[in-house]
Amino acid sequence: MTTASLSLDPYADVAPASPVRFLHRLNPLVKLLAPAPAMIMLVFVRDAATPAAFLALAYGVILVGARMTGRLALMLFVAVPALTAAMTIGFAAWTDPARVAGTTAVLRLGDWTLHAGAVQIGAATGLRLAAIIALALVAGLTTTGPDLARSLVQQLRVPYRVGYTAIAAFRFVPRFARELEIIRQAHRVRAGHRSFLGLAYVVPLLAGAIRHAERVALAMDARAFGAHPDRTERHLVPVRARDVVFGVLFLAASTAVFWVFFPWGL
Amino acid sequence: MSTPLLRVADLAIRHEGEEVAAASGVSFEVRRGEVVLLLGPSGSGKSTLTLALNGLIPHDVPARVTGSVIVDGMDAATTPVAQLATRVGMVFQDPDAQLVTGTVLDEVAFGPENLRLPVADVLGRAETALRRVGLWERRHENPDALSGGGRQRLAIAAALALGSDLLVLDEPTANLDPQGIDEVYAALADVVAAGDRAILLVEHNLDHAIGFVDRVVVLDATGRTIADGPVADILRHRAADLHELGVWLPTSTLAALRLREAGYPLDPLPLTPAELRSALEGVPQPTHTPVVERGRAQRARDETPPAPDHVPPHSARSTTDPTEHPILTARGLSLRRGGVEVLRDVELDIQPGEFVAVVGANGTGKTTLLHALAGVVRPPRGTVHVRDDDIARLRPRELARRIGFVFQNPEHQFIAHTVREELAHGLRDLPADEADARIIDVLDRFGLTARADVHPFLLSGGQKRRLSVGTALVAGAPILALDEPTFGQDRARADELLELLAALNRDGTTIIVVTHDMQLVTEFATRTIVLGHGRVLADAPTAQVFAAPTLLEQAGLRLPPLREALSGLRSHPELAGTTRLAELARGPSTGEAASCPPGEATERTGSA
Repeated sequence: MTTASLSLDPYADVAPASPVRFLHRLNPLVKLLAPAPAMIMLVFVRDAATPAAFLALAYGVILVGARMTGRLALMLFVAVPALTAAMTIGFAAWTDPARVAGTTAVLRLGDWTLHAGAVQIGAATGLRLAAIIALALVAGLTTTGPDLARSLVQQLRVPYRVGYTAIAAFRFVPRFARELEIIRQAHRVRAGHRSFLGLAYVVPLLAGAIRHAERVALAMDARAFGAHPDRTERHLVPVRARDVVFGVLFLAASTAVFWVFFPWGL
Repeated sequence: MSTPLLRVADLAIRHEGEEVAAASGVSFEVRRGEVVLLLGPSGSGKSTLTLALNGLIPHDVPARVTGSVIVDGMDAATTPVAQLATRVGMVFQDPDAQLVTGTVLDEVAFGPENLRLPVADVLGRAETALRRVGLWERRHENPDALSGGGRQRLAIAAALALGSDLLVLDEPTANLDPQGIDEVYAALADVVAAGDRAILLVEHNLDHAIGFVDRVVVLDATGRTIADGPVADILRHRAADLHELGVWLPTSTLAALRLREAGYPLDPLPLTPAELRSALEGVPQPTHTPVVERGRAQRARDETPPAPDHVPPHSARSTTDPTEHPILTARGLSLRRGGVEVLRDVELDIQPGEFVAVVGANGTGKTTLLHALAGVVRPPRGTVHVRDDDIARLRPRELARRIGFVFQNPEHQFIAHTVREELAHGLRDLPADEADARIIDVLDRFGLTARADVHPFLLSGGQKRRLSVGTALVAGAPILALDEPTFGQDRARADELLELLAALNRDGTTIIVVTHDMQLVTEFATRTIVLGHGRVLADAPTAQVFAAPTLLEQAGLRLPPLREALSGLRSHPELAGTTRLAELARGPSTGEAASCPPGEATERTGSA
């Protein structure tokens, strides 16, 4: 892909990242799959150190490898910490006091006592969730939907009729967002009707969506979509040496973390 | 002569589950280099027919098809759509519904990629097609960044890139503003100029299309070919018959038909504004009078004679008694959206019973103004008043009793499970018996009595539209605001709605519409407000606004065809100020019709 078509990437309008921001140039599937084993294993750990280590690993990879944007900063430094804090407090309060009665009391309110053990369980749960989210963000923040769809077609041999229909569907998103906004306005005009959980918006949105999808399908067929078992690929999303290196390193790091902390206490 | 690119013989199509055939007995041919216009009254199956030309019917859309469609020697009934796609390129009405990728270049490459062409060929074809419609320079952009006209040109390029010799376009300009329509026709004219492609066009906007069409094929209401020949033969000599049948005609031709009956010997019939003008210059004054009927609106306009070329803002506030208390006022109305000033210092007085049109180029704040006036978005306090109430302080229910708002797509505003509940929703404050009486009245007025217990989404398109107007008015609002009510609709449905609005207006409802349709404005609106960059450029009786071409040009608008034909007219001063078809009298018995626009609306679709 050293031809001119490289510059014709659908998201070419995104400012070119410095070479250090390696995540943007990796294969989407590799970015998605490399952290996957760690994410699954994290579901089964109970300590706080292992998730903390993975949280640090994921943050490190993202901070180095991803282009820093306002959205990314908000996600990393506001949303994830806030969620972790909320989970910690929530689970600490929710933990059955009988289970942690042996630990020291941190806080007493009337006859309610918060034990250090409860806080520890809360923090472990919060960190676990934060770590899983952060690992998902490695791919999530640096991959475009169309590239992922292409990668699924090219590497995983997902039928291109499915993959490219998915790419076409990405165009639906802003359209539906616009339509939803209009529907909300229209409902507000109808004598201040407020929808419970937005349920009233579903019917008009769905009716519009189905009609739109039918039209798009006809338009795609009218342009010979599905004519052959495969189609010309102008945007190749190959698995390169750097993808393999990233995958191997990430898996090695994950193994190392589990090895060092071995959170199952045999 | 070569074999035809397309040969349709005795084609009849019945959609699955439908009793009535959408088309029955269509026969015609299209040859290389030809531009063929397919005409027919609403419901004659034109759109259905276009889907059969590349095999989408019956391959994708289930239908019973008899007769044959032969594309370049291939039978469309048995050849896969993908193969036919290389011979027949399709362009549909909604530009958004035919774009599937993230950049202009990818979009055009999509078709050739499906054909498994090598990358170099794909790029070569894409470049040729994009250059042909003038989008090559913008190839890296997201299609969303293009205007409506730009996206439709992109759809044309995408069809060209497949290598199709025949381009089929189904109402390609119905969703576009005037500038977009011009762009699309300029692009099509370019495509045709080389002479290597053929075009089959379904279009209601004949004023733009007629200039580059070679041949016309006419279907009747049952979907049978009843005429096929050169434009001049069919439209000039059989216009009156076609008009009777309900076929759309160019405005200039319609005007000429009326003028002919009024005594102007126009023969042959003109098809374009320029032809109408030069034809009129060459004929003598009719011997009998009166020539121009004076409708109510026209009488009102006569009180303020048209200024030749300049309309100062706020020159005439209204066409009704200026001492009357305005029903809706805006004072120093400014609005910002995302840091950009959308409206600046708008001052308006709208009198009860007016029919006001708000016009302007894209992005000039028309819709925002309408939203602010109707309280859909809250204007700053103290800027907009309905009678004496500040609209920003009204609660939604109080607002609904004062202004009804109709959105472009009626479905967006439906919230209940039956038509009756839909209407009842606006009357929750009333005692049950009173509410019931109102609902029965509205159901009756809008022709929905038989459908009262049906889910709103199951109504026909026209019924949905009527219900949306009904719900807006059921709470007793004396003002009705509509955003682009005819956008994206076929002419018949648009006319049905306009007829309804005119009737409501006659009964005293104040109507405010935002629209691009200049003929609509001149036919119906008593007053026109021209917006430019968020400011009021002109606010005057409609005739006066359209008597100032420079102003319209500055605002990025086009003259409606009738105005265009008559404005430079030297020999018939009695016609020079006419903007409405209805003012061109047809005979002594039509005096009443001339004052009621809906008569005209019916006329245009020929359903009368």
